[in-house]
Amino acid sequence: MDVDTAITYYGKLVNQVFSSSKLWPRDGRFKATKLEEAIKTVVGDVTSNPEEPLLEIGNSSVCRT
Amino acid sequence: MSANIPVLFRTYLSHETHSGCKIWEAARATSAAPTFFKRIEIGRNQPFIDGGLGRNNPSRVVLDEANTLFRARPIGCLVSIGTGQAGIISIKKPGFLQQVLPTDVIEALRAISTDCEATHEDMLRFFDNSPNTYFRLNVDQGMQEIEFSEWEKLANVEAHTMQYMKRKEVDEKLALVINAIKFTSTQLTIEQLSME
Repeated sequence: MDVDTAITYYGKLVNQVFSSSKLWPRDGRFKATKLEEAIKTVVGDVTSNPEEPLLEIGNSSVCRT
Repeated sequence: MSANIPVLFRTYLSHETHSGCKIWEAARATSAAPTFFKRIEIGRNQPFIDGGLGRNNPSRVVLDEANTLFRARPIGCLVSIGTGQAGIISIKKPGFLQQVLPTDVIEALRAISTDCEATHEDMLRFFDNSPNTYFRLNVDQGMQEIEFSEWEKLANVEAHTMQYMKRKEVDEKLALVINAIKFTSTQLTIEQLSME
């Protein structure tokens, strides 16, 4: 993922995750489930599999960071 | 991070056994900043919290890893990018509701910023005899007012960063960074640097 794309995705992700805080902030002020959904969306867009393993097998051309 | 030993989430095979985790799990674990999100358990119910709690500046960890992987190869350069000047990274005082949080966690958050600059000092010393190998870029003005949940302030982050990049000293440093990335000048390996 190039830097400009990463910034665009980051903007979307923080908007989704931080726009509302939890009513009763037990174990953190923001919903971890929302963060998980947002991350999976990004991973799915880039690798076409939201559940893609971290370990790269062979020479993948897609940068995961 | 488990206790004080950092866990590295690698995209490649190494001497350590790979946890076999997914990309989203690794991303989630590295963003499990206390007071923001609850911790995540991966694999054998091992809880992870964000490395910010002890490895806010991962330069030392990355050097160790590079040394293990590329022992005999000369180092090109190490570029460290900060998120705002140490000591002034904004951590708001706990509000009424946050007082239910353990105070040791809040104290730990306050300690992050000092840890960051201490590592930078260590790196400057480590690369003392190898000029133009280690670089740190850190936007040192304006960022202190921005907490990392303040998503609506992304434009402010950009503005402060652009101001920083325009400074003469930073502009000159960037030219050196580009040069170091394109042409490796040092013939020293990390191992040799450690022995000096």
